[in-house]
Amino acid sequence: MSKGLGIVLYSGKADTLMLAGVLAQTAANYDMPVRIFVTSFATPYFMKEKPEPRIPKEFADWAQKMFEGMAKMNAPSWYDMLKEAKELGDVKIMVCSMTMEAMGFSKDQVDPIVDDVVGAATFLAEMTDYEVIFV
Amino acid sequence: MSDVQPTITVDARGVACPGPLTSLIKAYRKAKNGDIIEVLATDAGFKADVEAWVKRTGNELLSLTEENGVIKALIKVTAR
Repeated sequence: MSKGLGIVLYSGKADTLMLAGVLAQTAANYDMPVRIFVTSFATPYFMKEKPEPRIPKEFADWAQKMFEGMAKMNAPSWYDMLKEAKELGDVKIMVCSMTMEAMGFSKDQVDPIVDDVVGAATFLAEMTDYEVIFV
Repeated sequence: MSDVQPTITVDARGVACPGPLTSLIKAYRKAKNGDIIEVLATDAGFKADVEAWVKRTGNELLSLTEENGVIKALIKVTAR
């Protein structure tokens, strides 16, 4: 059994969300289990009504190039990559209960792509056989 | 290797990374040992990615070629 990939998804920036999508789908390709803990500024993007993705100001020029290039390549969105990853393998998305409450979101606002609303303790308890990255 | 005929063809031309590998894996999950999967891809990373995948899964890479920007991988399924 492959070691799993744990992703602490903290940033809600467009480039980070994309990275999470690529890594989750790639790990699922390898039959690696994936657990994503969505917290802080990534949280609003895992609600049904999503804000516009934000591009980091200091890389605005390159970000524009990258996203325009990806559109030309017909690259899927971060959301579609996560969906694909979930169809492909053992991929679960958890949203931080504390951030949700702090930001005033309720459970019925959560996007169906999310498996559970939990605390960091639940996520970390699962991470014994996982390599964890923070993005 | 020109006499090896694929039993399954996966056309992932124009699909961005990591899509081509996902297309291969979807075909692989339906395949059985002895099948020959041919994958066509235009994503530049596919060459290295398919080599890494074959190494990790223990299948056999019969050939990996590139012609006019199209990468062609022939994989013999041995690790199902």
